[in-house]
Amino acid sequence: MSGQRVDVKVVMLGKEYVGKTSLVERYVHDRFLVGPYQNTIGAAFVAKVMSVGDRTVTLGIWDTAGSERYEAMSRIYYRGAKAAIVCYDLTDSSSFERAKFWVKELQNLEESCQIYLCGTKSDLLEEDRRRRRVDFHDVQDYADNIKAQLFETSSKTGQSVDELFQKVAEDYVSVAAFQVMTEDKGVDLGQKANPYFYSCCHH
Amino acid sequence: MVVVTGRELDSRRPDGAMSSSDAEDDFLEPATPTATQAGHALPLMPQERRTEFPAFRGPASLGASAGCVQRGPVLCHWTPPGTAGEHAAAEGREGAPGVSGTHALLQRPFGADCGDRPAACSTAEGPICEAVVCYRRKMSLKSERRGIHVDQSELLCKKGCGYYGNPAWQGFCSKCWREEYHKARQKQIQEDWELAERILHLERGFVFFFSTQSTYIVGDYIYIYICLGAPCFSHLYKLQREEEEAFASSQSNQGAQSLTFSKFEEKKTNEKTRKVTTVKKFFSASSRVGSKKAEIQEAKAPSPSINRQTSIETDRVSKEFIEFLKTFHKTGQEIYKQTKLFLEGMHYKRDLSIEEQSECTQDFYQNVAERMQTRGKAVPYHRPGLGLNLTALVPMASAVTTVLEGTKPGGISVPPEKVEKIMDQIEKYIMTRLYKYVFCPETTDDEKKDLAIQKRIRALHWVTPQMLCVPVNEEIPEVSDMVVKAITDIIEMDSKRVPRDKLACITKCSKHIFNAIKITKNEPASADDFLPTLIYIVLKGNPPRLQSNIQYITRFCNPSRLMTGEDGYYFTNLCCAVAFIEKLDAQSLNLSQEDFDRYMSGQTSPRKQESESWSPDACLGVKQMYKNLDLLSQLNERQERIMSEAKKLEKDLIDWTDGIAKEVQDIVEKYPLEIKPPNQPLAAIDSENVENDKLPPPLQPQVYAG
Repeated sequence: MSGQRVDVKVVMLGKEYVGKTSLVERYVHDRFLVGPYQNTIGAAFVAKVMSVGDRTVTLGIWDTAGSERYEAMSRIYYRGAKAAIVCYDLTDSSSFERAKFWVKELQNLEESCQIYLCGTKSDLLEEDRRRRRVDFHDVQDYADNIKAQLFETSSKTGQSVDELFQKVAEDYVSVAAFQVMTEDKGVDLGQKANPYFYSCCHH
Repeated sequence: MVVVTGRELDSRRPDGAMSSSDAEDDFLEPATPTATQAGHALPLMPQERRTEFPAFRGPASLGASAGCVQRGPVLCHWTPPGTAGEHAAAEGREGAPGVSGTHALLQRPFGADCGDRPAACSTAEGPICEAVVCYRRKMSLKSERRGIHVDQSELLCKKGCGYYGNPAWQGFCSKCWREEYHKARQKQIQEDWELAERILHLERGFVFFFSTQSTYIVGDYIYIYICLGAPCFSHLYKLQREEEEAFASSQSNQGAQSLTFSKFEEKKTNEKTRKVTTVKKFFSASSRVGSKKAEIQEAKAPSPSINRQTSIETDRVSKEFIEFLKTFHKTGQEIYKQTKLFLEGMHYKRDLSIEEQSECTQDFYQNVAERMQTRGKAVPYHRPGLGLNLTALVPMASAVTTVLEGTKPGGISVPPEKVEKIMDQIEKYIMTRLYKYVFCPETTDDEKKDLAIQKRIRALHWVTPQMLCVPVNEEIPEVSDMVVKAITDIIEMDSKRVPRDKLACITKCSKHIFNAIKITKNEPASADDFLPTLIYIVLKGNPPRLQSNIQYITRFCNPSRLMTGEDGYYFTNLCCAVAFIEKLDAQSLNLSQEDFDRYMSGQTSPRKQESESWSPDACLGVKQMYKNLDLLSQLNERQERIMSEAKKLEKDLIDWTDGIAKEVQDIVEKYPLEIKPPNQPLAAIDSENVENDKLPPPLQPQVYAG
């Protein structure tokens, strides 16, 4: 039985083949190098302990199936997520269109979820600049618009991968600290204690 | 439900922790002697509303008030000092039978009908019942009686002992009722006593923290915080009844039946003095043992109407739970008390909708966990169902606990790493007991959904791993082994009672799936591999009561586990798989609509056509069968060909015969057979005879003379 406590639910979203799983794999692999080896039989769910300042935070990273046939179900996945990494392929403009779709969904359904845009396969651009299909500045503007963080990563070289997850953990810690601060002043009467919980699988 | 402490506490206004915020002041206000004397204890209510309360008093309001108790929510109600406990003390009996009393009343339907409420209640916002009942533990000089009055003639004990009876006790008075049910309950009480004896070690008073009913003892006063729906009305009602009882019993058994209301009011004033003594008696140190006993009784012996599950499993879990809590000493006791009280509370809430019950359970988890984690820090206690902020109450509660426990700053203090463990045990304990009532309850359409998904899965029997893109090759024996194990696990889920155990089954199933994928693909599985495989497993396994189980876990699992952890991930995937199966259409299997329809209607099976590529069911027999089926169909085809040819031959033959006959006919018609009558046949014979001339003439007869 798995009893590991997880603080943050981080959900990976993105079109098929943009490299969600590779990103997580890359990340898990780092753990393999530094920490005690844990026999992972799959990269679908990964719990990773991180340290932020003097605190430790456990990220629970949820990989999702990107195939369009499961699209209708994706909202079941990101329910209750504190952070979502929305991936798109830098060499595939259609994947960015899909990413926008998820961002919209998240904004509508999971307001408290922090969004991270992640352009993948940046190593391909280094080989050949012309392969870029998603303009960095366009995305940056878009990210500013939706108050999201933007990263361009390469799971092959490991570029920005750790930074991405580190940022997720740091944001969680600072948001949590902020919440504690506000809670001390009193609690919003209308707020539900656990709004996500009660309706899992009802829709 | 009245909590008493075994010792008298300082009657002065309690410490500053309780008067810091406005809300706290509101709450505390009635605790000051003047407020109590004035007969008002209406915390959480704006000041001006209190003036409306005399409506409860007069005879005219009797019906309305009683009706209010039964139909609509009572917002606030003041009860005079010492009510329930007083009665018990006056009669020299143990404890106030509040628990048992509440139950029967609960059975009445409560329409949350605001319109019907009397004026005193109608100012309430919404149909939520919130009340803080304040009891004065020690009598001060004067008090006044107020509240809901019920016709006394209905109150006499059926046994005719002169005491008042109670509908909750089937019309008996508490004593007679006890006697009546004593034997039946004996064993159960004994059992509960034994359990409790091991857990409870009552040195001083204690505080009940109940997810919806909390009792705080502050100085001289006992605050019972009551909220949420039906139980509280009945509770208030009950208290009121006991009040009446107490009153009547102190009337020294004289013809109480004939009491008119005005008389009643009159005597009430006379009564005050007597009450002082009885209440004192009950709360004085000399009765300490008695009241302690009463508490134990309450904590241990739940109302007799609780149908206790006596299954072996329940007993075993109870024992384990107690053993487990023993390692936490005092904290364990506290937890046990709370858990026990929660279970009793849930019993009364059985008539509520499953969502409300779920909310209560979630509240309880949250409440207990927070108390363990915060160690006496002020907790913003939050009731999601009511949207009400009780922040003010909790610091007070911990302050109370401080008072009671001496120096410890908080009722429960547990190292954080143990909190999870304790929560698991609590979940196990309460859910084993509640399972029977909250799993697939009749009030929901869970069962209907179960049947629907079962039927759906049966109808989809033809779906192949290829259609779902399942990356699992079942021809590898190891893999098919894993698949079988995964199916077994997911089916086993239904047999577990505790949500956590059910989740563990899903997790086990998922691990087997991962292994199967890993063996097939030789690399770790991603979600893109996992989800289709899980769908395939669910389709193959058709687990029983799938929807009920999902609903049950959703409603009653400890949320911290469900939302974030690994178990939660697999559970979410299962939810997805079910959602996918429900919505599954031609497109999601990459099939044409016609094919999909044909398969769904059972006209054809894709397996027959794909028999060559159809490998996952590696069973040889099945393969042979399909091969034989192929052969049979070929034979069939040939036979049909032969048959048709035979028929053709037959037809040819017939045609030929007919043709011949026709031809003959034609010929016969064309050359009809004409037989001409013979003309001069002899001459004819001769005429043709050319040689006739040469013949000698015919012999002529010659006459010879002679």
